[in-house]
Amino acid sequence: MNDATIIRRSLSARKLSTVFTSLSVAVAVALMLVLLMMRESGRAAFERGSGNMHMLLSGDSDPLTGILNSVYLAAPPRRALEHAKVEELAAKPFWAFFIPTQIGDSYRGLPVFATTGDFFSRFQPGENEQWSFKAGRAFEKNFEVVLGSRAAQETGLKIGDKIALTHGMPQPRSGGNEDKGDQPAPHVHDEYKFEVVGILEPTGGAHDRAIITSITSAWILHAHDRREKAEHDHDHADHDHDHEHAQETMTTEADLTDADKKVTGIYARVVSRPGSNASALIPVVFEQMRSDKSITVAQPAQEINKLFAIVGSVDQILIAMAAVVAASSGISILLALYNSMEQRRRQIAVLRVLGASAGRIFRLVLAESLVLGAIGAAAGVAIAWIGLRIVASEMKARLGLVIEPAISWQLALGVVSGALLLAGVAGLLPAIVAYRTSVAKNLRPLG
Amino acid sequence: MPNTETSAPALEIENVRFAYGGSNSFEIVIPSLRLEPGEHVLLTGGSGTGKSTVLQIVAGLVDPQAGSVRVAGSRIHSLHGPARDRFRGSHIGMIFQTFNLLQGFSALENVLAALMFSALPKSEHRERASALLATLGIQWPDSPAELLSVGQQQRVAVARAVACRPTLVLADEPTASLDPENAAGAIELIQQTCRESGAALLCTSHDPAMRARFGRVESLDQLRAGVQVGAGAGA
Repeated sequence: MNDATIIRRSLSARKLSTVFTSLSVAVAVALMLVLLMMRESGRAAFERGSGNMHMLLSGDSDPLTGILNSVYLAAPPRRALEHAKVEELAAKPFWAFFIPTQIGDSYRGLPVFATTGDFFSRFQPGENEQWSFKAGRAFEKNFEVVLGSRAAQETGLKIGDKIALTHGMPQPRSGGNEDKGDQPAPHVHDEYKFEVVGILEPTGGAHDRAIITSITSAWILHAHDRREKAEHDHDHADHDHDHEHAQETMTTEADLTDADKKVTGIYARVVSRPGSNASALIPVVFEQMRSDKSITVAQPAQEINKLFAIVGSVDQILIAMAAVVAASSGISILLALYNSMEQRRRQIAVLRVLGASAGRIFRLVLAESLVLGAIGAAAGVAIAWIGLRIVASEMKARLGLVIEPAISWQLALGVVSGALLLAGVAGLLPAIVAYRTSVAKNLRPLG
Repeated sequence: MPNTETSAPALEIENVRFAYGGSNSFEIVIPSLRLEPGEHVLLTGGSGTGKSTVLQIVAGLVDPQAGSVRVAGSRIHSLHGPARDRFRGSHIGMIFQTFNLLQGFSALENVLAALMFSALPKSEHRERASALLATLGIQWPDSPAELLSVGQQQRVAVARAVACRPTLVLADEPTASLDPENAAGAIELIQQTCRESGAALLCTSHDPAMRARFGRVESLDQLRAGVQVGAGAGA
């Protein structure tokens, strides 16, 4: 027999109240954890994705859209950069790297990210982090693909497998823009088989879910579409419906025109001193690029901050709501214990007669409050663990955002400590009432 | 054996005064009352004369407005806070009219709760509680106390009162809610258990039938007048 037995008996004597009070703490802890973790994971996912680039050049309408499209592969850009413009920009002397990229195709719902070999050799997915291959190698020639870690996991593809890419990207399940502009309806290019030559280790960025191939291969697919359409129009003009003719003519690199060589985004880094990410040139180059009205230039860090400033006010409201839920759970502990004091005055008096000091009774009630908080917090962490997986999967399905649904132990420790502190504060008043319970009055009225 | 020096009286009250000014106002005046170790005394008085309050004063739950109370040689009201609670837990057992068992606790846990705050070594608690309950005929010590029969609950209350090997057991109207036959059995059980544990017993009752069971009977009115019937042999 010890204090723990007394607390256990006290809680089990009020099972329903114990369950509901703990549940209210659990909901508050889970809500707080899910919101904080989603915010942390979201920011981490966004911060990692831009790697070591200094700026993104695109034809998008605004810098944030450019970052979302070309770095986070959210949707194909509405407008591409013309080949001549790309050539002109590439010729500037201040680039440490200048990597053209194109998105617009997909494979089983995953984005195809077309780029050059420099993406693997010059662009780093994180600060001083090189690309690491789980298997295979980078693409070396046309019609080879490298799978991001999540893409490999989701498709189950292995090295040596051959796939056909879909021209066009599926829209998110809801919230997608119905106006697809000049985007063609998705169709599969069965005539071109891409071989899987590499699988990347996870990086935590958006490229983890990409199918990465050479930009020339993507251009060839698009050129093939153009040529097919031209053949089809030509056939119609001649009233000769020989559809087989177009399909038998394979497009090669030699067939590419400048118009085919569309680039949707350019990952660019300005020269800097070895080992340094900062460069005095960055603002100068940025201003110079911004003055060119035919392109949109974006600095990823700035745009992510802008994005989180917009989202931040929303999640501050959500976190404030979670805090209100937490406060109400504290009040429910207080009420549950305070109300039980009426029924427990006699029990407290008996314990005092048996030799328990007022201080010990105070500690017992406070400990009971902490136990309620601890049970609720533990249940809350479990609910959050499940909830995060559900939210992450919904965010991926509805918004195309890939967020790692993991609970950081530091954050969990912080929220659990907060719940215990709240329970401790909530237990103070009932503990004081218990401390001041008159033994004589509650054993039997004076007489 | 009780947890005290055998030479000191189990209880020694001198010039205690306590006035209660509530709706049922009364005044307790005890110039002198002494119980020798192992002595059994019945304290009588009409309803509302302060018998229960005398026991609460002796237990250190209520402070007298004047006078001193010594239990096993120690002035209980000179002790403060946890020290007084510890002293009570180690030297005094209490039995109530309504038993006041801890609800939701088993019979065994009720007795263990008394031992938890006593000076007895923890290693002896379970063995002592089980032995006491077995001696008093509790067959299912792990049953919740509230599910036991009234008679069994009273036995648990008695076991709890003597568990810490107290110097003094205070019984507050222990038979008030029982019919005469059961009342006789109950007081016999309390006296027998106190005898076996060597504890002195101060029992309050307004039932005249109880007088025959005690060798020494004191009435609050006579104590107030300075008349002590004197030491008896105990029951």
